[in-house]
Amino acid sequence: MADLDALLELPGARAAFTFNDRGELREHRIAEGAEGLDATVLDLLCHMCVANTAIATMQARGWERMTGMEGFYPIEGFGFVGLEWSALTHGHCGVVLANDEADYEAAYRALAARGEP
Amino acid sequence: MIRRLLALDGVLAVCRFRDDGAFVEGLGLLDEEGLRRLARFAHDYKRMVQGNADQLSMFTGMPGWTPPGGWMVRGRASSVCSVANLVCIVDNGEANLKEVMDALAEAAHW
Amino acid sequence: MSLISELAAMPGVIAAGEYSYRGDRYVCRGRLDDEDARRASIMCRATTMGLHMQADILGGFCGEGCGLVPARGWVVRGPRFTVCVVANVFCFLDNEAGALNEVLALMRERLADAPTDLV
Repeated sequence: MADLDALLELPGARAAFTFNDRGELREHRIAEGAEGLDATVLDLLCHMCVANTAIATMQARGWERMTGMEGFYPIEGFGFVGLEWSALTHGHCGVVLANDEADYEAAYRALAARGEP
Repeated sequence: MIRRLLALDGVLAVCRFRDDGAFVEGLGLLDEEGLRRLARFAHDYKRMVQGNADQLSMFTGMPGWTPPGGWMVRGRASSVCSVANLVCIVDNGEANLKEVMDALAEAAHW
Repeated sequence: MSLISELAAMPGVIAAGEYSYRGDRYVCRGRLDDEDARRASIMCRATTMGLHMQADILGGFCGEGCGLVPARGWVVRGPRFTVCVVANVFCFLDNEAGALNEVLALMRERLADAPTDLV
């Protein structure tokens, strides 16, 4: 099980969450002061990430077969970059990070280590 | 003219939008804001489907996918259907999708 | 130097490019041949179109102060490569170089005022 409290320690973390294959939110933590975020927003965000991971998987499949350039498939994570915050997912786990403070590489490493429930 | 589409069995709402996404007209069981949202969604969804059709065409090498003729999203009780710059919401239990899609295609040329 | 050339010259960047939202133009610098650059621009454009629609819907649920919307871009991570996009600029990265932070920071900074109406 992903340790959401530990993910919330990532630089700039505003929320950490897990979701199922359909994109339904399972567990979540929201950092103090993360205005505008609630379970409804996170649930929609999870659906968005699952949908785009599926699209990216199709693209990676097509791209690799067509170009022979392997290394995209299977898609490990999808990230959405918003105006001030980003949402990164890996497997069934994700975080919302403030763009100005985010360390995306560290976040992906942390998610990869904890991402699969 | 979109009133004729609303007269089809099971059609709950219908909208027309411009190529730039602007709302032109709408009728049915949604308020004005709902109709505008439907038009906006249909415009954005149309562009997304165009992008996906481009990719399908590119990856499969098959002709005939682009430009896409329209799209349908089927939910448990309702569906959303669109052809060109027209979109409608239909009741799955009442509507005949073939009839609706044909009518949308015809109305797109009005 | 243009942003595309600047990105393409960064360590870990395989290629960087730009596409028009209409889908009729693209430019690309780096280690993708012209046909692959065209394919990459088609794929990145398609995902961007979908993402903006989704973010608009998400925005209807976000409360005051939510920093998720409007959408600025996206990242797709594979085992060896990552693709990142901000506005209509895309970048293919080699994960081994660990360049995502620098690349995204530059893209966000230089494209901060890029229009979001996808025209």
